Amino acid sequence: MNNHLSEDQIIEWMLGTRDDFVSRHLETCRTCSVAAEELRSAISCFRDSIHATAQRDNSFWKEQQLAFRERVSDWYPLHWAWVVAMVMVLITAVFLTRTPNPPQNKATEDADKALLQEVQADLAREVPKALAPAVLIAEERSEILTNKEQTRTTLGKGEK
Amino acid sequence: MVQNERAAVLIPVQEKAGLGMTALDDFTPLVRSHQQRIYRVLLGMLRDPDAAETLTQECFLKAYQRRASFRGEASVGVWLLKIAVNLARDHRRSRLREFWHRLSSPFEDVADLGQRLPDPHASQERVLLGREEVAAVWSAVEKLSPRQRAIFILRFVEEMSLEEIAEVTSLKVGTVKTHLFRAVRAVRQRLKGGGAGE
Repeated sequence: MNNHLSEDQIIEWMLGTRDDFVSRHLETCRTCSVAAEELRSAISCFRDSIHATAQRDNSFWKEQQLAFRERVSDWYPLHWAWVVAMVMVLITAVFLTRTPNPPQNKATEDADKALLQEVQADLAREVPKALAPAVLIAEERSEILTNKEQTRTTLGKGEK
Repeated sequence: MVQNERAAVLIPVQEKAGLGMTALDDFTPLVRSHQQRIYRVLLGMLRDPDAAETLTQECFLKAYQRRASFRGEASVGVWLLKIAVNLARDHRRSRLREFWHRLSSPFEDVADLGQRLPDPHASQERVLLGREEVAAVWSAVEKLSPRQRAIFILRFVEEMSLEEIAEVTSLKVGTVKTHLFRAVRAVRQRLKGGGAGE
């Protein structure tokens, strides 16, 4: 039969969770109180060792402050140099991407103008472009007929 | 004091004449009042006094560079610890750096930090036992994930509340408690396993 606290209960106690049952048990059970105290003591020693190691003299902290100030002083010019460099890169990039664009745009504009002129010329025609040959034939026929008529009239006058 | 600290961080750079040096004068007292704690946390997380020293400076430099982003939602101390914990995590991620460091200082071991127990009047037996316990805890802490290690150090070395730790680590209080529980269990198992063993 195991009447002792579980590992989880001891850890919860270590984390600060206070449970009446656990507290009462720790007061009466030597095994569990030793186990809990061992854990508490080990962590406490660990804490003290870090605090003791981190205990440095004043000169150490002064040096730290000076080193920080020096690093900030070093960082400022570097920081601004970096900012200026980035701005230069951006400006160069904008120039490089914009330069080849104007000729391309002009060529497109010219092509658009020519197309517009062609369309306007088509619209201005009396006869659609597709019927132009038929109009030519009709004109030729009408010219031939006129010529024939004139010849006939001239011959009729001569006979008289 | 806290108000002054907040002002030192919150005063925008543009309002400062000379763009930098005057603002730096305001920032220096902040370094003075927080450097020991930051150093201690970094020492606990890295177990390396040299790295802790370098990263303490790095932490304040980062804080100074980013002070415009400090909104004053948390305390300055919590904000600085957040930066320090992230720096320590990034530092440990660099396996190569760790490898070279171990190669260059092979005697920096568990025992070195365990030697420094504060009570010089304790009995010889107690001192020895204490060293063994400290070595065992270090050994267990070494094997924790960086996040669990940070939480363990903040709770038991800095004695911070779970809520404060949650702010530093950007985790929920419940998650912090779970990590802490696992960390303490690992330490207890290590202690039960018979000391440091290294």
